[in-house]
Amino acid sequence: MANIEDLVIRLAHDDTPSRPAPHPVLLGLRWLAAATIYLAVSLWLSGVRPDLMAKLHSPMFDAEIAALALIFIATALSAAVLAFPDLHQMRRTALAPALPVALFIAVLFFAWRADFPPAPLPVHSFECTLSISLFSLLPAAWTFYSMRKYASTHTRWAGSVALLSAFSVGALWLRLHEQTDSIVHVVEWHYLPMLAIGLIGWWLGKAVLKW
Amino acid sequence: MAEQHDTLESLMRQAIAGDKRAYADLLRETSRFLRPFLTNRINSASEVDDLLQEILISIHKARGTYDGLRPYKPWAYAIAKFRLQDHLRNHYSDQLRHAVELSEVENNLAEPVTETDLTYESISGEIQKLSPKQAEILEMMHHEGYTAKEVAERIGMTESAVKVAAHRAYKILRKVVKR
Repeated sequence: MANIEDLVIRLAHDDTPSRPAPHPVLLGLRWLAAATIYLAVSLWLSGVRPDLMAKLHSPMFDAEIAALALIFIATALSAAVLAFPDLHQMRRTALAPALPVALFIAVLFFAWRADFPPAPLPVHSFECTLSISLFSLLPAAWTFYSMRKYASTHTRWAGSVALLSAFSVGALWLRLHEQTDSIVHVVEWHYLPMLAIGLIGWWLGKAVLKW
Repeated sequence: MAEQHDTLESLMRQAIAGDKRAYADLLRETSRFLRPFLTNRINSASEVDDLLQEILISIHKARGTYDGLRPYKPWAYAIAKFRLQDHLRNHYSDQLRHAVELSEVENNLAEPVTETDLTYESISGEIQKLSPKQAEILEMMHHEGYTAKEVAERIGMTESAVKVAAHRAYKILRKVVKR
């Protein structure tokens, strides 16, 4: 008991400054803004797909992009909440990505059904996964760096969601940049790797977000 | 001690504003409500003290993530559970690291470790040189006549852990007696 009292006095007189964390919604919005600027600049530099205006008139393409954007928004907010020990007592927000992911899977299913006759497969394959991964490195590093300033008690979950958020920015970029109509290719080389990325984040979160 | 009208949330708000006394009161109150939470989950009083200190340090490190506007206890308990899980994980992995292979125990089970000319009294001096836990186990099993299961219940260990501890003690004693 004497040890505890000594510690309490020592901690109470510790003058190390502690920066108050912003509200998680504000934190999530900051990450979203930074990632959106990164996406816009990258698209400006790399160029958008030549048929983008025509594709935006396709309801399936619009639904796919909208669902992907929803995943991006929901994962950024969820990651922000998961950076707090008690999830800022906003558990529902932490679980927010579940709905957009379900919606996204449904959209992909309908897009696959509507892809008849199937669009020809592009000649490339894994290059898409690699491009998305490289593109996502910066937002992933930024998100992890920011999260480390706080105190996550759900490190695996937080890591998984943070990496999904970064990867969704990469997936958005490639979908708006590359002229590919094959839904089979897109699912196989753009979106399925997201599952693997989620697992990597599960492992990475434990290692990187330890405090 | 915190005055009764000071809630934990208001203490934290005062602490954020720079009131060191309020912060000390908050930490004392926190250790007061966390102690039973830990005691219910950990047997050893010294481990509870160590873990409580670790939790208070974690709360201090994470204080920037609490704004004083939402309930304080869920925030503090979230940190306490996180540190408790860490502690238990380390504790059990440490136990596994030091565990004796079952086959090693089985090989020795047939050996007449208890059927010997030696009595507890004749080697009690050597027994006292063992670790306190091993000495306590041997005393209960060979002096007071408890079974391994009964010893396990009394000192809050598993039956197999008691058997392993006793087995290690026998090995040490056997070496000493052979000399």
